[in-house]
Amino acid sequence: MRLIVNGAEHDIAAPDHEPLLATLRDRLALTGTKLVCGRGECGACTVLLDGTSVYACLTLTAACANREVTTIEGLGRDDALHPLQAAFIEHDALQCGFCTPGQILAAVALLRENPSPTEGEVVRGMSGNLCRCGAYPKIVRAVIAAAGAAADAPASLDADRSAHG
Amino acid sequence: MAKRFVTTKVEIEGREETKTVELPSRNPAPWQDDAELHVVGQRVPRADALEKVTGQARYTADVQLPGMLHAALRRAPVARGRVTSLDLAPALAMPGVRGAIVMDDAPDVKLDGVRLFDRTIHYANQPLAAVCADSLEIATRAAQAIVLTVEAEAAVADAEQALAPDAPRVRSSGNLHRASPRIIARGDVDAGFRDAEVTIEREYRTPVALHTALEPHGAVADWSAGRVTVWESTQGIFNTRADLADAFGLPLTSVRVIKNYMGGGFGAKNGASFAAYTAVALSRKLGRPVRCIFDREGEQTDAGNRPATIQHVRIGAKRDGTLTAISVDATIALGIGGWLGGPGRIYHELYRCANVRSAETFVFTNTGAMASFRAPGHVEGAFGLECAMDALARELGMDPLELRRRNYVDRDQDKNRPYSAKHLDECYRAGAERFGWDATRRRRRDETSRIRRGVGMASLTWGGGGGPPAYATVRINPDGTIEVLTGAQDLGTGARTVMAQIAAEALGAKVEDVRTVLGDTERLPFASNSWGSITTASVGPAVRVAAEEARDSLFEAAAGMLGANADDLESRDSEIHVKQSDRCLRFDEVCEKLGDVMIIGQGSRGPNPERTALSAFGAQFAEVEVDVETGQVRVLRIVAAHDSGRIINPTLAESQLEGGIIQGVGYALYEARVLDRASALPLNPTMHDYKVPTLADVPEIDAFFVGIADVVANHTGAKGLAEPPIIGVAPAIANAVADAIGADVTEIPLTPWRVLASVQRER
Repeated sequence: MRLIVNGAEHDIAAPDHEPLLATLRDRLALTGTKLVCGRGECGACTVLLDGTSVYACLTLTAACANREVTTIEGLGRDDALHPLQAAFIEHDALQCGFCTPGQILAAVALLRENPSPTEGEVVRGMSGNLCRCGAYPKIVRAVIAAAGAAADAPASLDADRSAHG
Repeated sequence: MAKRFVTTKVEIEGREETKTVELPSRNPAPWQDDAELHVVGQRVPRADALEKVTGQARYTADVQLPGMLHAALRRAPVARGRVTSLDLAPALAMPGVRGAIVMDDAPDVKLDGVRLFDRTIHYANQPLAAVCADSLEIATRAAQAIVLTVEAEAAVADAEQALAPDAPRVRSSGNLHRASPRIIARGDVDAGFRDAEVTIEREYRTPVALHTALEPHGAVADWSAGRVTVWESTQGIFNTRADLADAFGLPLTSVRVIKNYMGGGFGAKNGASFAAYTAVALSRKLGRPVRCIFDREGEQTDAGNRPATIQHVRIGAKRDGTLTAISVDATIALGIGGWLGGPGRIYHELYRCANVRSAETFVFTNTGAMASFRAPGHVEGAFGLECAMDALARELGMDPLELRRRNYVDRDQDKNRPYSAKHLDECYRAGAERFGWDATRRRRRDETSRIRRGVGMASLTWGGGGGPPAYATVRINPDGTIEVLTGAQDLGTGARTVMAQIAAEALGAKVEDVRTVLGDTERLPFASNSWGSITTASVGPAVRVAAEEARDSLFEAAAGMLGANADDLESRDSEIHVKQSDRCLRFDEVCEKLGDVMIIGQGSRGPNPERTALSAFGAQFAEVEVDVETGQVRVLRIVAAHDSGRIINPTLAESQLEGGIIQGVGYALYEARVLDRASALPLNPTMHDYKVPTLADVPEIDAFFVGIADVVANHTGAKGLAEPPIIGVAPAIANAVADAIGADVTEIPLTPWRVLASVQRER
């Protein structure tokens, strides 16, 4: 089957029951997407499927044929970070970093649906992504700041998206 | 000539140990509190943030090696009993399965008293066999294909069952740890209670809490030519190396342990894990790299916990609040094993009182072993002591903060020695002011409304003075960039950033020019486990010494180039200046002229000051809302004032405070391992059913440091800060709930039904 990950096409021969998480990590070596609970309880494996956030552990690869998957590796480049990645650094919205890829992708999906969320909307939108280090207050600040930055420069989020699939 | 090797005391996780230390090559004057520092104390961005936000940080489970196999465990379905048969054949017959191990193939090692793959079952989910296959999916299916029969026996789920007259014997030696009861006393407690004008007596209960690090325990092992390289999610690479070398009969040179990034430890990852022994044994047997990572249920049941406690507390006082006696009788349910991390010690430390006695009974149960969990013992003990202090304050009709201030102490009373520094009084003052303690306490109470507000507070203390041994090397490259090499670990705490800041400060370098390399036993000099909040205070001084040695060499090299004496040089922002002149060279210009000369500085951590207690302190304040119809508690805000000496990086330090406070909110309100008492089987080994705080549960947090350098503790002036912020949260919240509903709360987590029961008792 054809799977499009971060703009690149892959020919994948995964069994029907294989979760997208295993395909990404084990077949494509995209290990930025983390396995934590494996049953949709923590949000650490959040990726984008056609721009919408999904749990890669509960999504079957077979259901993603010809659809666009975006993982943390495809969001920005080291020298051209996505505004949310930059905001997470700026606000120190991470400690161990294990939940961070999932947090950032959940925030990307949130801001796509709601480009200027209130603090309460960020809290509701992101509360499916657990962080045991407790970076939560700074995650909220980072998401609000990134939304503000995008509002100030309306093209940046979209430009970034088209550049990196 | 002065002695080169001396001994010194170092406190780790509440235990004081005597360590041998080699005196460092130099002993710099402390950076005084008012010293003009340029990099230390700055809000430098986290050094490894880029790797983490781009998914490039490679954690243990992300290591992929050519030919690597995957291991899966078969675990015990009952909490006590024995294996009567275990047939591997159906598993080994499956395509893609490469091998398996059981007890006889594993090294003869005991973890928490249980032999690896023991056929006697001591707790539910105890590993019985491991299967290795081409993929994790095949390995997992094969592990379930093993035909297992067990004979179940009656099991012990908790301390009360363990201490019952006809209890099954958890261990052949019985159900009490041989150190039980551990009694520590000063003064005459009976006389103290006779002198008391008011005595309160309460029983407090705390739950089993699970670390729930997002990254589970796990390892990748690559055995090759009689040597083994192990990637492990660990807080202690050198401890892990020693454990594995010992188990597999290897010299230390044949074991290399690497830990680059890890997804949280919180105390549970302090040596070679079960996963590491399994991966190494399978790699040795099969001649291929092996990855063994615990699944979530394994992590929640077989990877450590904060043990449950029952604390029977009595406090005696004069009517003016002066404490005359404190006593606690505690029962601690260790699980199948663990160490003596009990709640008793904080009762001896926090307040002035001549007569204090703690008696701790450590009990074995048929559950996974306890492990250190962020301020082990003190978190449990602070709940009992600080709730009891509030109960006393209510009895006396006194402001709880005033009661604590009246019993302020400036010495370590058990050991009769001074603190290197103690600014708890400043934490009380600054915390109360930022919280608005007096104003909120004076606010009129509405005793009729459904939603009641309350405020509470708690004080805290914790070691974290650190100590030797710890070593660091600082190298200056031909392009003027700098590497700090030390065998410490960054668990997400910020050690990489903090060590770079200390080196940059001592060298007069730009922090962007400094890179810290951690977590590799083969390439780096020794540093101890990252535990007990000791890394900054232990390793930081070694880094400073190494950097100053390198700076002096660099100045000597530059002196000739600048036509000046080395003594007349100073450096800042990676530039060397001749004092009172405009002559100047950049580090890279000096180094380029030196060619391949590599400037290297070596540093080590010196001894701690003699007969001095090294501790961190804090005061935490909480405001809550309680719905007296439903028992629902909402924490509105937490104000936390902390004294951890000098703060090297306020941003990262505040992140740790917030994180510790949020874990404390979970401990206070939500978190508890639940077992079926009849079978001792776990009922909530998932992240959905074990309730860690989510983003929606976080109150407003104002956490800060009073930030006064402790120049007696060590020459950087910094002390530990990772564990303190969790300590006072649960009692501050419980005291606020008690204030709101006008009734005692004595057990956490403060679930709605438990709060409701307190409300109804009061009516």
